Amino acid sequence: MDSTLPSGPAVHIEGLDKHYGSFHALRKINLSVDRGEKIVICGPSGSGKSTLIRCINRLEQHDGGRIAVLGTELNDDVGNIDGIGREVGMVFQHFNLFPHMTVLENCMIAPVIVRKRPRAEAETTARRFLEKVRIPEQAMKFPSQLSGGQQQRVAIARALCMQPQIMLFDEPTSTLDPEMIAEVLDVMVTLASEGMTMICVTHEMGFARRVADRVIFMDAGEIVEEAPPEAFFTSSRNERTRQFLSQVLGH
Amino acid sequence: MEIVVVAPPAPGRLEDLKRRFFATPLQTLLSLISLTIMALIVWKLLDWAVFSAVFTTTGGPEACQAAAGACWSVIAARWRIILFGLYPFEEQWRSALACVSVVVMTVLSCMPAFWTGRRIALVWGAGTGLYYVLMKGGVLGLPYVGEEAWGGLALTLFIFVTTCLIGFPLAICLALLRRSDLPWISRTTGLIIDGVRSLPLISILFTFAVVLPFALPQWLQGDKLYRVILGSALFFSAYQAEIVRGGMQGVPAGQEEAAMALGMSYWQRIGRILLPQAMRNALPATINQFVISFKETSLVVIVGFFEILASGNAAYGTGEWRFAYVEVYAFIAFIYFVFVFSLSRYGAYLERRMAVGER
Amino acid sequence: MVSLLRNQKVRNALLQALYVGSLAATVLACVMIARRNLAEQGITSGFDFLFKSTGWDVNFSLLPATANDPNWWFFLIGIVNTLFLGTTGLVLATIVGTIVGLARTSSNELARLLGRTYVDIFRNIPLILQVFFWYALITHLPTPRAAHEAFGMLLTSRGLYVPVPNVGGTALAAAMLAVIAAIAFPVWLGRTPRLNQPFGERSTIQLASAAGALACAAILLAVGRLPDLPLLDFPALQGLNLKGGLRIPPEFSALAGAIAIYGGSYIAEIVRGGFKAVGKGQMEAALSLGLSPWRVFTQVRLPLALRAMLPILANQYVWLMKATTMGIAVGFTDFFMIVALTINHSGQTLEVIGILMAGFLAINLSLAAVFNRINKAIALKGNQLRG
Repeated sequence: MDSTLPSGPAVHIEGLDKHYGSFHALRKINLSVDRGEKIVICGPSGSGKSTLIRCINRLEQHDGGRIAVLGTELNDDVGNIDGIGREVGMVFQHFNLFPHMTVLENCMIAPVIVRKRPRAEAETTARRFLEKVRIPEQAMKFPSQLSGGQQQRVAIARALCMQPQIMLFDEPTSTLDPEMIAEVLDVMVTLASEGMTMICVTHEMGFARRVADRVIFMDAGEIVEEAPPEAFFTSSRNERTRQFLSQVLGH
Repeated sequence: MEIVVVAPPAPGRLEDLKRRFFATPLQTLLSLISLTIMALIVWKLLDWAVFSAVFTTTGGPEACQAAAGACWSVIAARWRIILFGLYPFEEQWRSALACVSVVVMTVLSCMPAFWTGRRIALVWGAGTGLYYVLMKGGVLGLPYVGEEAWGGLALTLFIFVTTCLIGFPLAICLALLRRSDLPWISRTTGLIIDGVRSLPLISILFTFAVVLPFALPQWLQGDKLYRVILGSALFFSAYQAEIVRGGMQGVPAGQEEAAMALGMSYWQRIGRILLPQAMRNALPATINQFVISFKETSLVVIVGFFEILASGNAAYGTGEWRFAYVEVYAFIAFIYFVFVFSLSRYGAYLERRMAVGER
Repeated sequence: MVSLLRNQKVRNALLQALYVGSLAATVLACVMIARRNLAEQGITSGFDFLFKSTGWDVNFSLLPATANDPNWWFFLIGIVNTLFLGTTGLVLATIVGTIVGLARTSSNELARLLGRTYVDIFRNIPLILQVFFWYALITHLPTPRAAHEAFGMLLTSRGLYVPVPNVGGTALAAAMLAVIAAIAFPVWLGRTPRLNQPFGERSTIQLASAAGALACAAILLAVGRLPDLPLLDFPALQGLNLKGGLRIPPEFSALAGAIAIYGGSYIAEIVRGGFKAVGKGQMEAALSLGLSPWRVFTQVRLPLALRAMLPILANQYVWLMKATTMGIAVGFTDFFMIVALTINHSGQTLEVIGILMAGFLAINLSLAAVFNRINKAIALKGNQLRG
């Protein structure tokens, strides 16, 4: 079997299917993300948007269709899967920082043990990215000593330290207080402006409008609509999209 | 009905006493009963153990037996056999040093500074290695002393330490295998763990000491001591595995996902992310298991080892000290008490500290 | 081939097959070697030995036993002995543990101190050391000629002699059943709300049925009484030996006593934990309803605490049951000692080890089953919130 697809798109998904027991989580998803493109995925809870991006870095295994990331197909081949984590960074809803390590160690561990970088170099990189997410002074603290917004920014820095080519965001601001959402979104906007390939599951429509190249609306495991933000927000003809937008933007 | 006094007018010593112990008739009765029991026991015990006791060996066993109280002379006369068993007399300082090295090792591993996998392994490796070299000799000009001559407290400590040293890594392996995603591996391991847990320790020790030689080829049998240690380690690991697994269940699934998303391999995730957190969760239960395991080390007396209980039996069992069994058992009980009590107090302290930390 | 090994699914299947296969192979190899070694000693494998007579005797048995009895009968004796010792130890430990545990939760500081001292001392000394101690203490008691006497009981180095009723075996057993019924029936009645409606007041029926059963027991004892003998048979010295009464051997009393004392210290902690788990709010609510402290205790604290401690208690009971294997240390023929002796005498090592495992599995599983029933019953009761 030929496991390499044309190396053009960053992520190429074809006819993706995913079941949890009898629950059909993803139905025949087709999606292609170019390098440097910013995608925002939204949709009601349980619509499969998290499952979709978790399939992209193999936190979930798909049962049908094909996914190719940076030209490498994700299948049962162990060698292919190992490489993915290094090239795809992910930011989680609940931050998932390692509580037994300092902020700096959180950022250094993966480069040191996965990419085998010297500690000094990893530390320089880590401090640079902590600077970038605007919390260089917290490097020696433990995650539990930080606010939610600060923790999420550390999580972004941690993912960036692996110098990934693609960043996945799984509802990064949904558990944060409003004043903290802004500081996280600011970091994400900066990142976008630097040309990172980003796939974000989020309900922050302001962010989508400002940054996204395309907005994807999912419902019941399917991609219902896919459009540039302007068209998506102003002239959607789909009933389900309009209803969702009115709920999200309504208040 | 009890009458609750709101803000009592600054009670004096007497009122305070009255409020605490004699507030109601029932309280008074309880206090009096407790006080009587305590006074009786404390008086009898002090009288037996101190006031009427004989401490010196000068009178010999006869003078001692005639005394109304305890005959501590038996300890003075026989403490070496209780602590060191049949270890060659002029080499017993090595046995003593070996015990000290084990105690130091235990104390060190109770310090948070040593709570990383590498450091704890280093401390235990060094402690046990030192013990082994001291006891066995054959190097550095120390005369060779075979395992069959080891005994007393030194042997008890050796069995305990090696049980933990083998059992702990084994427990982690079993716990990992039991939580494996592969159904056959987790089920088979579950069967082994539950099977071992349902058996009494004595039956396992007996099987390893007496039955196993039939079932192993000659070259694999090894010394009986090490077979029994293996059996006791297996038993320890079956219990400890469930404790470790409990600790792992306390680590949120997101931790492993984050590690996976960072590209860490299975062993990196286990070693760097899962285990450090799981072991911290499991610490109080682990110390409790150590305490239980230390007490259960005493069971090897049944399969014929000359550990502290057997050497105690020997200390009073032969010859002129036959009457002084209570004193010998009290002495051994005291040794066990010192070890077990301090370890369990430490465990309770950790548990309290961790409970506060969670708030 | 190489690409096949890189496939995740193939790897998983291989790993599992390797793990299970190597374990099975190890066990199989051990069994094969053992069979060959045993065959060399002239021992053929199989369970025929179960029906051969043992040729040795046991020192304690509730069932009739001679050296001519077959091996399977001795295993049964061992299990009965284990269960008897275990149950005795368990009941005694529960009594001790409840008293000490209540002392530890009491509002009286002195009682708390006393309870705590007890737990700290007896929990931290290995059980087997305590068994040795009590056994040494009992066997160093005076000989029968100089026995200590108390309440008609004799304390000697050969055991504890207690008076027994001079009543025929069947009648005694029937009377015991009646006594059990006298306790169990009212309890069962109290838990079955629908039944008592047509008969009137529940407590009256409970009292009446208990009294009836006890009367039955008394009649049975009177009828079954052996002729021409006093109702109670007191042990007494005759010549150099003691005659009459029931002898409780030192092995049994040492084991049961040590298990009671050691187990009691653990159960005391479980009891304390159970009471601690009952929220202050529930007690205050009950007190504010005007219930007396006694009723608050029996109807609010105790049922709730019981539910909290039962699962841990179940584990502790299983542990205590397994602790009976210490019988071998002082020579009490419990199940494990029978197993060890049978291996020594018959050499049927593999089969007997198999029986040992099966026996303890059965004991553990049945204890677990009993506790699951109790757990369910109590959980139901908690929902109904009745007295």
